[in-house]
Amino acid sequence: MTVQLQAQHLQFAYLPERNVLDDVSLEINAGETLYILGRNGSGKTTLLSCLAGLITPAAGQVLLDGQDLLSFGPAERARKVGLIPQMHTPAFSYTVNEMVMMGRAPYLGWLGSPSRDDQAIVDEALAQLGLFELRNRPYTEISGGEQQLVLIARGLAQKCQLLLMDEPTAHLDLSNQHRILEIVSQLGDRGLSFIISSHSPNNALAYADRVLLLEGGKVTAYGSPEETLTEPKLSAIYGIRTEVITNGDGKPLAVVTQRPIALEPKSLRDPHSPLGQIFARSKAEPQLILVTGLSGVGKTTWCTQLIGLARDAGLKVNGLLSPSIFEDGRKVGIEVVDLHSGDHRQLARLREEGSAALQTPRWAFDSEAMDWANQVLTESGASDLTVIDELGPLEFFQNEGLTAGMAKLDAGDYKVAAVVIRSALLPQALSRWPNAIIVNGSAKTLP
Amino acid sequence: MPSTNAAPSRLKTTITGIALAALPAILFALALLLGRYPIGPLDVGRSLLSPIFPKLGADIPEIARRLVLRVRLPRALAALLIGASYGGTGAAFQAIFKNPLVDSNILGVTSGAGFGAALALLLLRNEWQVQLFAFAFGLLAVGLAFFGSRLYKSSPLLVLTLMGILVGSLFGSLTSLLKYVADPLDTLPAITFWLLGSLSSITWSSLPVLAFVTLLGVFFLWLIRWRLNILSLGDAEARALGVNPARSKLCIIIVATLMTAAAVSVSGVIGWVGLVIPHAGRLLVGPDHKRLMPASILMGASFLLLIDNIARTLLPGEIPLGVLTGLVGVPVLALLLRRGRRGW
Repeated sequence: MTVQLQAQHLQFAYLPERNVLDDVSLEINAGETLYILGRNGSGKTTLLSCLAGLITPAAGQVLLDGQDLLSFGPAERARKVGLIPQMHTPAFSYTVNEMVMMGRAPYLGWLGSPSRDDQAIVDEALAQLGLFELRNRPYTEISGGEQQLVLIARGLAQKCQLLLMDEPTAHLDLSNQHRILEIVSQLGDRGLSFIISSHSPNNALAYADRVLLLEGGKVTAYGSPEETLTEPKLSAIYGIRTEVITNGDGKPLAVVTQRPIALEPKSLRDPHSPLGQIFARSKAEPQLILVTGLSGVGKTTWCTQLIGLARDAGLKVNGLLSPSIFEDGRKVGIEVVDLHSGDHRQLARLREEGSAALQTPRWAFDSEAMDWANQVLTESGASDLTVIDELGPLEFFQNEGLTAGMAKLDAGDYKVAAVVIRSALLPQALSRWPNAIIVNGSAKTLP
Repeated sequence: MPSTNAAPSRLKTTITGIALAALPAILFALALLLGRYPIGPLDVGRSLLSPIFPKLGADIPEIARRLVLRVRLPRALAALLIGASYGGTGAAFQAIFKNPLVDSNILGVTSGAGFGAALALLLLRNEWQVQLFAFAFGLLAVGLAFFGSRLYKSSPLLVLTLMGILVGSLFGSLTSLLKYVADPLDTLPAITFWLLGSLSSITWSSLPVLAFVTLLGVFFLWLIRWRLNILSLGDAEARALGVNPARSKLCIIIVATLMTAAAVSVSGVIGWVGLVIPHAGRLLVGPDHKRLMPASILMGASFLLLIDNIARTLLPGEIPLGVLTGLVGVPVLALLLRRGRRGW
């Protein structure tokens, strides 16, 4: 097979020093289908625009049949690569036939109008996708699935060998998704290649020849669906626990997502309960629990209850807890408590009144208390449960704050660790510690 | 709204086409026949041929011959050209701005021309100077809007529209200022009447520039008509289809502005035609600019001929065109929209 399109080390930024694409490389052979998966804002649409030649990368290049994409004129490029945008409503209600005819634009001069030959090509594309009967209906009045088919037909009328599709199944019901993707797959059998951005790992499992996982503009995995759509990799890019269901031969069939586990209070003593199992497994290898949830749901309270249960069961607990300090019902400070000795210090206070809401960070940290907290974590001996409350952007992005906590977790120097973390940081946490268990830290789960 | 699934039959398309093409011809003939001074069809025909065959004009009253050749004929030609110009540029602007609520005035050409005319009427009072000033200031206004929008990086279309509105308001205020200082017995009525639009002062000398610009412009719009479909999808999609939207749009804006400035400079402000005619066209032939552009050109020409015929004959005095386009156009469009099968 011949390499049809090759992207080498693409880099792109809308604003200086904020790369939307960073060193992205990929290639696709004739007849292959490549899926691009990634969260919202990970750079999927920008990557497609780069590959279509609509925007020029700051570095790197795109080779089409071995030739630099930017060396083609706009019309010549559009005869080779088609881009099917995310669905939208045009300002005027063109008929299906007129929409598909627009795919002939790269073949007509800029003062040209379609001829009878162009109509024949359009008729063929319409017939191929079963749209012929709809050809005189306004595009704005047909269903979403039919609209997507019309856009594919326009790509066929464009007669290009590679079609880029931006979230083609985003607004479609299950049967229409299936219908569109089956048609794409059959067109692939006839030699047409597709690069598809998608939010559905299941569609990628079923239809992709290759998958590229994109996170923050960087490629985190690239290869066959079996290689890329694995539990740790998917968990890391989406920031949720995922499970890949396989058939008897170990071939992946579907990706399911797991909600954070809600843990029962009695469960610590019961070896068959989830919490009991976690502690049982900790004898063989370290178990990391990420306690998460919205601010104020009671993550610290949840940890307090877990600590109580652990102590009741005769387990040894160490680490740090950070309860809030309230004054007139308002959170004004954060305390840090050494769980081993019971010592505590004030770790942070709310910044001065007035512009408080506008100041970032809102909390003024006491560096001596922070040093003390790190020392507590470093010098704490062996224990059954280590609590770290909490790890935030300071630790993840600036390498400040409870750095000793990060080091401990990276080294696997614990049996069971319960770490409080805000939901927004789950992608970072899961890419760092792929086997972590996510727990809903809502206090009501432990009455 | 329900819509028919059947293809518009070839017969129906042909009939629509013939009707659209025949209408301006019929209204043009009427324009030569109608007027306060009654002239029979035979005399009109002979008058028209008299420059080539002087014998034919021998037994017609000289005043009738002069009326047909020097007053009604240039006026009807002007109405035809200006109407075609407004219809065509309106359709083109609605496509490139992806907005069915704009016409070629969106970038301020009319306001600029109005100011230019008012200035010339105040200071110079010469017919061709008024035309020249109107034309020049119309172009200046669009130029200001266009280069003003270049100062901003984001969303060029939105900024361009905004700049057009700003420049239009600026020239509107300046025109008001001129009206304020103008002599209320003499200059002010002249300015006001000019701003309401009229074809009553058209002579053969007004026509060459108008005809040259309009015919070339209409031909260009006719040539580029299918590409308007692509441009109406938006810049990103147009580029994906291999079209350079910036270049095409710039050409269209330049041509349409020249056409509109040429039209406004001889007729004064006649609003509304460019906005409404493309809508009526869409109801008749659909949104595909391959058919919509010729339809808008022909319907614009017909509409302005119709309006001017009414303006000349309905009342003893002339009714300003800018007044009539609205008075006739609004009910017509309301009726059309009520019967319309689909959106635009």
